[in-house]
Amino acid sequence: MRRFILRRAAALLATLLFVSILVFVVVRILPGDPALLIMGTEASPEAAGRLREAMGLDRPIPVQYLEWIGRALTGDLGRSIQYDVPVGALILSRLPVTLPLTLMAGGLMILAAIPLGVFAATRHRRWGDYLTMTLSQVGVAVPGFWAGLLLVLLFSVRLGWFQSGGFDGWAQGLLPALKSLLLPAVALGLFQFAVLARTTRSAILEVLREEYVKTARAKGVAERAVLFRHTLRNAMIPVLTVAGVQLGQLMAGSIILESVFYLPGLGRLALGAITARDLPVVQGVVLFVASVIVTINVAVDVLYGLLDPRIRYE
Amino acid sequence: MSLWRVMLALALALAALVAGSPAAQAQQQAGTLVVQAAAEPPGLDMTASPATAIQNTIHYNVQESLVKLDKHGKLVPWLAERWYTTDNLNYTFFLKKGVRFHNGREMRAEDVKFVLERAMNPETKHPHRPRYLGITNIIVKDTHTVTLTLKAIDSNFLLTMARPGSVIYPREAVDTLKTAPIGTGPFTVAEWKRGDRLVLARNKDYWIKGLPRLDKVTFRFIPDPNSALAALRAGDIDVSPFGIGPENAPDLKKDPRFQVITGDTTNDVILAMNNAKAPFSDKRVRLAITHAINKDEVLKGAVFGYGKVLGSNVDPLNPYYVDLSKEKSHDPARAKKLLAEAGFPNGFDAVLKVAPQYYYTVRTGEVIVSQLAKVGIRVKMEQIEWGQWLGRVYCLPPCTSPEYDLTIIGHGEPWDINNYANPKYYFRWDNAEFQKLFKESEATLEDKKRRELYVKMQKMLAEEAPVVWLYMYPRLVAAKKGLTGLWKDLPTTALDLSEVAWQK
Repeated sequence: MRRFILRRAAALLATLLFVSILVFVVVRILPGDPALLIMGTEASPEAAGRLREAMGLDRPIPVQYLEWIGRALTGDLGRSIQYDVPVGALILSRLPVTLPLTLMAGGLMILAAIPLGVFAATRHRRWGDYLTMTLSQVGVAVPGFWAGLLLVLLFSVRLGWFQSGGFDGWAQGLLPALKSLLLPAVALGLFQFAVLARTTRSAILEVLREEYVKTARAKGVAERAVLFRHTLRNAMIPVLTVAGVQLGQLMAGSIILESVFYLPGLGRLALGAITARDLPVVQGVVLFVASVIVTINVAVDVLYGLLDPRIRYE
Repeated sequence: MSLWRVMLALALALAALVAGSPAAQAQQQAGTLVVQAAAEPPGLDMTASPATAIQNTIHYNVQESLVKLDKHGKLVPWLAERWYTTDNLNYTFFLKKGVRFHNGREMRAEDVKFVLERAMNPETKHPHRPRYLGITNIIVKDTHTVTLTLKAIDSNFLLTMARPGSVIYPREAVDTLKTAPIGTGPFTVAEWKRGDRLVLARNKDYWIKGLPRLDKVTFRFIPDPNSALAALRAGDIDVSPFGIGPENAPDLKKDPRFQVITGDTTNDVILAMNNAKAPFSDKRVRLAITHAINKDEVLKGAVFGYGKVLGSNVDPLNPYYVDLSKEKSHDPARAKKLLAEAGFPNGFDAVLKVAPQYYYTVRTGEVIVSQLAKVGIRVKMEQIEWGQWLGRVYCLPPCTSPEYDLTIIGHGEPWDINNYANPKYYFRWDNAEFQKLFKESEATLEDKKRRELYVKMQKMLAEEAPVVWLYMYPRLVAAKKGLTGLWKDLPTTALDLSEVAWQK
């Protein structure tokens, strides 16, 4: 087990290294000179040149990269160009929005998708199954930002139950804070919920076809016990894999929904930074999000190593 | 049965909990205002960044200058109660007495000297430093009098003194301008939550008695126009002051809860042509394109008929504006004739580059492409990213020659006729006669003479057609009913909230 975890951790570091190089190169070959975008249309060339120098953009890319990654390893992600504050602090200040939003969306997704998937599987090829699958098809097809807008139109504009967006911080109290994240979380989790419900359904159908389930049934084990004791645990392996990947995707998906609901989260930070060519912030946020996603994936690997000991030796 | 009842009770309790608070929030507290801002300011210092998002929120509200561009686009005395000059080279400003900065200290002539010297200092990276380099000497006469000496006569000098980069702030607060700017304005900066909101609070000691009328102003940063509209309809914001989409105006006008204010801006939307490149270097081709375009149709298609058709460069808010919109009217037959004369009886192919960052450019482009096709000019529209537009079309250094045939963009700057006197500007229009006229206008201070020159320049531009002036982008403000005191027109980038109030 220890060797298994170590191997996964090494893969994690390699992935992060690769991602960091990729991000660094990509943001540097993006068209649009950051110095010019920052200075605006009336800036003099000398002023832009000075800024370019101050930002270190006049040096070769590999040199810039080594300096950046070296400092990043000590926890220093540089300073934001547009806000003039440390990137690390900026990321930390946005986490109290994005993290709960992602977790809430993920929680809602899992809480709704797994029971619904089980429900559909146990009513295989009956109306309950068809209805669930049609609904989830809609969930897959509807883009999150559009769902978000529809939710706002219904629950904020028409009914007035929720505010149309924004986040007033945790200081306003736990319940109001959670409430202001509820609509965006639903919109964010919708797509992943639909995918997970479908995955759960097919995973269970798959397991129900296995010999040991048939054996259990033949032995006269009650249907409920067959489902919960024998099927669900084994079906959870593919479901867990998908859910793990999805948690990462939720974090990435928050970029658009944070704009729709004007939430001051990590996604908004990244989007604004890209528009303003605030390179240190773009790099910092991408590296951070990539670390979270890769870590979740490793955690999932380890988790199903625990669920199914055979996986460890493969 | 009892289980159902418990669940129902729980559901109702939850619904009450969830639905309870917004009703209370929706009730308008007296004296507070929530304003939508599409872009977040990248800092709060107008003397360090030219971003209009800073000017939108801070200028006039938090920081003020000696001279102000008022709601009619006129220069009026502000922190300076008057000034005089005998030779148009030495300006003596008499400052208002008893004006206090937000830190309680009185504003003095020393502050003016400090602020202007800092603007000229290359170390401070003032974004508009060149505008101040004509000042050769600053002498503090007494606590409330300061004399500035210019190198040469500059008819735009007072305008420069009214610009966002000329705001007066106290020397002792210079280090915190970026995050907590201090000035003399009707509001103070109370809180800035990056990515979320900027809160301004009433300056109790404002030098104009009775102002401001509001106790608190919250700018919420809502980038998505659909979200902004929903927020307005849901009652989460009170006013969307920087332009709602023209397509939304008719609906909002019908809604009894809202008012839509339409006004003028200094934003001239143009179809620019690369005058250095054939066939646009030929005046006949440029005129043919002008005649081929039906501007009324463009106005309808692009901005739902709001705004005004233009015929030359000066915007309707400028005191020297002359209406030349009927000058080179829609005349496809004439356009074809001109094209034939220029050697293109069968028209030609061209590429129109637009940046979808400003969505009106795409909508305008679609109309124009179809209109030009009718006289045989086959235009392909290409959408490019804003950074590329700035680098290639607008040709910011290191670019040396602009890469485009046609492009559409709004020029928002007031008093920007100087661009046509600059042969290096991305139009690449080089006309010695115009350059002479402009130079003369800069050195002319007498209003009547100056107006004559401006009229002459506008007519000449209409005649030479270096670009096609399409329309003035409209100012469209949506606000809750009962909100008063918003400026109708927008002659400057500032959103002056000092007189805004809720009707009782």
